[in-house]
This record gives sequence, C-alpha cells and structure tokens, in this order.
Amino acid sequence: MARSGALAAVLLLSAVGARAADMPVFKITIRDGTISPTRIEAPAGTRFKLEITNAGKSPAEFESISLRKEKVLGPGVTSFVVVNPTSPAQHVYFDDFHPQAKGVLVIK
Amino acid sequence: MEQVLFIVWRESVEALLVVGILYAWLRANPAGRPGLRYLWGGVAAGLALSGVLALLILGVATFLSDDGQQYFQAGMSLVAAALIVQMVYWMRRHGRTLKRELESGLAYNVARANWWRLFLLVTIAVAREGSETVVFLYGTIATAQGGELLHYAMAGTVGLAAAFGTFWLLQLSSRFVTWRLFFRVTEVLLLLLAGSLLVGGLEKLVSIGTLPGLVDPLWNSSALLDDSGGLGKLLADFAGYRAQPALSVLLAWLVFWAASVSLLRRAAR
Repeated sequence: MARSGALAAVLLLSAVGARAADMPVFKITIRDGTISPTRIEAPAGTRFKLEITNAGKSPAEFESISLRKEKVLGPGVTSFVVVNPTSPAQHVYFDDFHPQAKGVLVIK
Repeated sequence: MEQVLFIVWRESVEALLVVGILYAWLRANPAGRPGLRYLWGGVAAGLALSGVLALLILGVATFLSDDGQQYFQAGMSLVAAALIVQMVYWMRRHGRTLKRELESGLAYNVARANWWRLFLLVTIAVAREGSETVVFLYGTIATAQGGELLHYAMAGTVGLAAAFGTFWLLQLSSRFVTWRLFFRVTEVLLLLLAGSLLVGGLEKLVSIGTLPGLVDPLWNSSALLDDSGGLGKLLADFAGYRAQPALSVLLAWLVFWAASVSLLRRAAR
C-alpha cells in the first residue's frame, strides 16, 4: 500500500517534471528572514516556474497575494509553483513568517 | 521573537473570530446551549487535525503535486465559506424562535443537523489556521537554542493570550451593545470572512488554470492600498480585498454578496 503510494507519487512527480521541463525556471532562496533575489524579471504570456528553496533553519511561507501563491516550506525543503501566463504587471512576493523579507516579480 | 508573538496571535484570531461569534450567540440564546458541546468538540477536532495537517505540510507537501495541494486548499476554503453563510442564514431564521421550537420538538432535528455543521465549520476554521501555527512553531522551536527556547515559549504564550484577549473583547462587546446590534455586526463580520474564504479558494483555482480569470488583472490599486502589507494585508486576510483582482473572482464575489443579502432578507420575513 505504502509502496504503491510512493510509486504513484514518483509517477506523478515525473509527469509534472516532464511537463514543467521546458518552462523557464526562476530560483528563489529564503533563509531565516531574507529572500533572494529581491527582483525577478519574467516575460509576459509564458508559463514559468518559481523554484523556492528554504535554506534557513526556520520554516517559511512563500506568499504572493497578487500571484495567488502560498506555500509553506519546512527548513531545507525545495518546492515549486507554476505561474500561468499573465499580462505585464508587478507582483510582490514575501515570506509570510518573516514579513520583512520581500521581493518583486516584474512581468513584462 | 516578536514574529512568534505576532503569528500566533494572527493565526489564532482568525479561527477565534468564528469560534467567538458562534460562542457568544450560543451563550446568549438559551436554546443554543446544546450547541456548545459541538462547538468545543469542533475546537478539539480542529486542534487534532492541525497536528495532522502540519505533518502533511512538512512531510508530504514535497511529494504531492502543486496542483493537488492547491485543489485541497481551495476545497477547504470554499466549504468553510459555504458553511459560514449557511450558519448565518440559519441563525437569522431560527434565532428568535429556536427556544420555543425546540421545546415543542419542532426544531429538534433541524437543530441537531445544524450542530453537526457547526462542528464541521469550527473544525475547518481551527485546522486551517492551526496547522500553519504548528508548522511555524515546530520549525522555530526546533532551531531554538537553550535560552532562546524560553523566550519563544513566552512569546508564543503572550501571542495566545493576546488572541484570547481579543476573544474576550468580543464576548464583552456582546454584553455592552444590544443583542440586535451585536447580531448585525457579527453577521457582517462573518460574511466578510466567508467572502474572503471564497476569494481565496477561487483564486487558487484561477492560479492553476481550472477557472478562467477572464480579465486578469482587472485593475491595479496597489499604489492606493497595497495588499501585501499593513492595512491592505489585514483587509486581504479578513475581507478578501485584492489590489489586482481577476474579473471572474470579482464577479463571484459580487454574486456572493447579492445572494447572501437576498437570502438573509428572505430569512428575516
């Protein structure tokens, strides 16, 4: 049961991986109240991936209200969110557990 | 350290807002007494579920697909929003006459079915906010060293105390304002919260492409009122304010308020 669950998870992951492989990827690192980079520029009208790593010792919640993304990350965890095509805009992202850590994603 | 305090307070208040309003209502209405057991049962179940959800977030989240998590969160928000509206409607409908109806046995089944919905609502409200608090505290405490641990524990306790202080103020206000006014104000608060849950849930669906945004974003008012910090963030969390809303979500929000108002008008008759 557990094994088939793990297998399903792996299959699901590789399916997601295959679909996501050709997307541009932007990496974001959160570390105990700092977030880097603080500015990302992405092209409008294309799907892209934000790969978020929590390199700190405390948990983080990557959040962007205008991008409609929220993701809780335990210490040492790397995860990703996929952003669907949008028109040119500026989106603030931050660590909701350390709100002073902010960055801006510019789509143009 | 002040982060521990602030986050414990903020996550607790959102859950306590729902619990507090229902508690004040059940207490003020003699017929509501039987519901208190379901209320506290829901709190207990919500706390237990918080732990389980926190483990899932910490452990399984990396294995679950991004879309899967979004669907789950969207589902929780939308169910909670529907339950709040249903509860407000039911209170409006049966509030005044509940005691008499219960005594004559007419409302017994209605009441019992609704106590279970109340249980579910409270469970979701507590679990939603509680799981994040657990994740946050778990990681923070795990990295604390020696003396820090005491400070964190203190900050957490103060945060929780502040949340209960807020809860107490809510209960106090029910004693000083008239019952009618209290009822009106809390109805609006609950509906605002339900609207915010609806917006949050639908936006999850927009962000994974299940629901079209139509015109997205429709406008950008972040220069006027930024939703990522301060008052704007507070309004975003409690009332569903968005600086860059999608047209479809805005339409759903308008339909939500039109439907809620007409539903409550009908219930009052």
